Amino acid sequence: MTTFSQVYAALRRKSRGQYALLSGCSFFSVLLITAYLCMMRSPTILSVLPEGGDSRKQVMMVFVLAVAGCALFTTYAAGLFFRQKSRQIGIFLALGATRRQLRREIFRDLGVLALLSCAAGALLGGPLAAGIWGLFRAFLVDSREMALRLDGRAYLPALAFAGYVAAMLFFLGNRAVQGVNVLDIVQESHRSEPIRQVKGWYGRAGIALVVLGALAGYQAPRFFIQVLRWYPPTIVSGLFYLPALAGLYLILLHTVVNGWRRGRRYQDLIAVSLMKFQGRQTVRNMLVMTLLIAGAYFAAFYAPMLSTNSQYSFASRPVDFEYHWRADQDLPLRGEVEELAGEYGVQITEWAQVQAASLGGDGTVSLEQDNGALGTTYTTQYREVASGATFFSESAWNALTGQQVDLARGSCANVLDDQGGSRYLSGGDVSRVTNMVTGRYLSLTPAQPLRFTMLLGCYVLDDEDYDFLTAGLTDFWKQNYVCFNVADVSASYPFAVALFHEIVDRSGPEVEVFDAWDPVERQIQIRQTGSYPYDSREYLASHDLPVIDYAQRDSSDFRNYWLYMPQFRVLDQNDFVTTMAVFLMLFVFIALICFGAVVVIAFTRCMTIALTSARVYADLRRLGAPERYLFGSVRGQVSRVFLVPALTGTAAISFFYAMILYCNDNRFTAGELAGLGVCAVLLAALSALLYLVYRFTLRCVCRRLDIRPAKKAG
Amino acid sequence: MLNVQDLRKSYQVGSATYEVLRGVCLRVEKGEFVAVMGPSGSGKTTLLNCISCYIPADSGSITLNGRELARLNREELARVRNRQLGFVFQDFLLLDGLTVRQNILLPAILSGAVTPRAQEQADRLCEAFGISSIRDKYPAEISGGEKQRTAVARALLNHPLLILADEPTGNLDSRSSRAVIRAFEQAKQSLGATIFMVTHDSFAASFCDRVVILRDGVVWQTLERGAGSRADFQGRLLNAIRDMGKE
Repeated sequence: MTTFSQVYAALRRKSRGQYALLSGCSFFSVLLITAYLCMMRSPTILSVLPEGGDSRKQVMMVFVLAVAGCALFTTYAAGLFFRQKSRQIGIFLALGATRRQLRREIFRDLGVLALLSCAAGALLGGPLAAGIWGLFRAFLVDSREMALRLDGRAYLPALAFAGYVAAMLFFLGNRAVQGVNVLDIVQESHRSEPIRQVKGWYGRAGIALVVLGALAGYQAPRFFIQVLRWYPPTIVSGLFYLPALAGLYLILLHTVVNGWRRGRRYQDLIAVSLMKFQGRQTVRNMLVMTLLIAGAYFAAFYAPMLSTNSQYSFASRPVDFEYHWRADQDLPLRGEVEELAGEYGVQITEWAQVQAASLGGDGTVSLEQDNGALGTTYTTQYREVASGATFFSESAWNALTGQQVDLARGSCANVLDDQGGSRYLSGGDVSRVTNMVTGRYLSLTPAQPLRFTMLLGCYVLDDEDYDFLTAGLTDFWKQNYVCFNVADVSASYPFAVALFHEIVDRSGPEVEVFDAWDPVERQIQIRQTGSYPYDSREYLASHDLPVIDYAQRDSSDFRNYWLYMPQFRVLDQNDFVTTMAVFLMLFVFIALICFGAVVVIAFTRCMTIALTSARVYADLRRLGAPERYLFGSVRGQVSRVFLVPALTGTAAISFFYAMILYCNDNRFTAGELAGLGVCAVLLAALSALLYLVYRFTLRCVCRRLDIRPAKKAG
Repeated sequence: MLNVQDLRKSYQVGSATYEVLRGVCLRVEKGEFVAVMGPSGSGKTTLLNCISCYIPADSGSITLNGRELARLNREELARVRNRQLGFVFQDFLLLDGLTVRQNILLPAILSGAVTPRAQEQADRLCEAFGISSIRDKYPAEISGGEKQRTAVARALLNHPLLILADEPTGNLDSRSSRAVIRAFEQAKQSLGATIFMVTHDSFAASFCDRVVILRDGVVWQTLERGAGSRADFQGRLLNAIRDMGKE
């Protein structure tokens, strides 16, 4: 060994563990971020996530969280690597090595390490995403929509992240040899970073801030929109969540420095004081883990919540089959449907067919003003004809729903869901209804709302008022509604599919429209501007709105947004998972990535306890500490690193999720409660898995420190 | 050889400033074995670290063979450390991943001159300090005394003008301490080494030609060993320290 490079190589071989740890962290962070990006930027996913929609925002929010987590955690791993390396660097400098000499060796190491780990992570990210997606398709659910298409451009931000990792490594590497004080460099690895004094009330204040932040963050947009009439940029609303973040930090700080169990101050002394030595880093790591766990659960809840809620809603429908069509269309009537049912051995037990009308209702419309970076403000204006809705006569309503409604003349009832909620979707009360063909109108008083989820958002009028208002309507403004039941609905799936296809096949291109297409608004806009943008498929596509295509009748866009989509219980129940497959699996994928990141971070963090505390445990053993004490102390640290973020993240997201559901319309619907129940089961299962990882990690740390918990029995 | 003039160094802790060196002046001649003693906080280690240029001094001058160390750039300073200075630290600062022989050869490796002569010199030093039998062992496998003798051998490899030793016996038992001091004496006698040692240990200091006693950041007293015995010199050192405590 005659050259500095050979010496450096020999030392590298001796510290393979440190190199492996840093390479592993860089590799995993780039791998996870690349996989996430490949999925997030995939045309398959983008086609089902509406631009500006909540789902896309949620996916982006969790992505930002994952990037922050991976960046922080990789930076931490690099910091740890250079702290351990600092003694070598200091000795070399003390013995007369030049900084240039050192930098050359360190940069060569980092170059190879960054290139291999980042390149491997970036290269394997795409295959990982495709592999997980393939497993979903093979074992969980498959549909034509799920065919994964990856966009090469997703690699650009992934490469940017890999570039960050490489740049950060070189920056820290350069900083490690730049120090002026050689002794400081030598002592760097022993330097502690204690947290300033942490008051006893930090924990309680933290919990209060988390609750306050969650409430403020969630309610702020509502306040801005409803009171200030301002749609602020997302970042402004996001700022209101900051108290929750600060609260989480305080909780973790209190946990690391003070602990929650006052009676065990001396039992926990070693564990707590060891963690204090790495205070800031520990708390930062725990905060990242807490947020990632919260993000992972948030994504994990999506599929069970949506599935349970929807299945509950399908099961509680009062009729098995409902379909409707514009009167100018030629759709199958009773005879044809019965004939088709006969072909499939299905017996129709009840049948009701009624007519309804599309009329204009009064109301306030929002006039938005785009203020660029400052968001959008709006003013409201009352209009006698604001938008259209479907109106039934009370006799038609009774025939269709089996209810016994008798409205007074001059009144109009809005239809809410079965629990009397979802007012934000129902359109609200109207006081003036207009026939768009003749211009006839009636001033009405709002009646007690009716309940019928399948016809949410419709209106019911007194028979005479209905006759008065609909006189002179052309078929364009009329609709037919059919509801029927069958003898054995569970056996009627093939019939339901056949009828669905029949309905779609016989619907003309003029009704190939999505559910926001409104004939009333259309007429108003055509009168004012000469055109209605929702008639243009190009407009819809360019604004990322659903483009209805009869050829794509099994797609989620079609099933969710076709204006005339039938509601067949058995069809919806059976096809729900395949219709929503991309949505559901995307969120399962995100949960997997986040949980993967959490496990890697927690494991790495805990293993560094073994690396950095080995001398302390050797000293404690020399002082006569029994294995039981040593094990308890290690467990104290590992459990804090692992379980505290898990518990905090789980509690925070459970509270937040329940709050979102409740605040939607100030209640929990039965479907939401059922969904929450399933989420609780999932949460228990995932927590059990996390606990198993914790036990495995604890065993690894003990093995590294040569602590045998079994000895406690002796 | 080494000339320190009016050296001052202070530390800032929060809003308070602690003046550790308050105008230290001293000289070390070629071939001298000089110790610096003094109570904790007197500035011994700070003085050594300033001379080593590990930490920058606030003011004053340090010249080594007529070269002002503070004026050297990083490259020149590295060359001085590598070729003209040898270092021995209290906690040895050996690299755990290298064998004893490799650690000794490190200054030559760093200067890119691992000649057969340097290798012979390393073997000679191993022989001289009684560590030949452990030269292929790693630091984790040898005793504290052996580690420190390895560090002394490493400090001597490049025939430096001056060896700077910071509490070289501080972490050692009496037997190992004696072996390290013997190694210094040997280096002085057979290699003509100049040694500047900071120590708490009056026994170790009593082997020196001269002892500089620091107090509150200035040179309080300088004692020469002269022609007397080592034991007499240790007695004088202890008396001086006792007197310092009385003042």
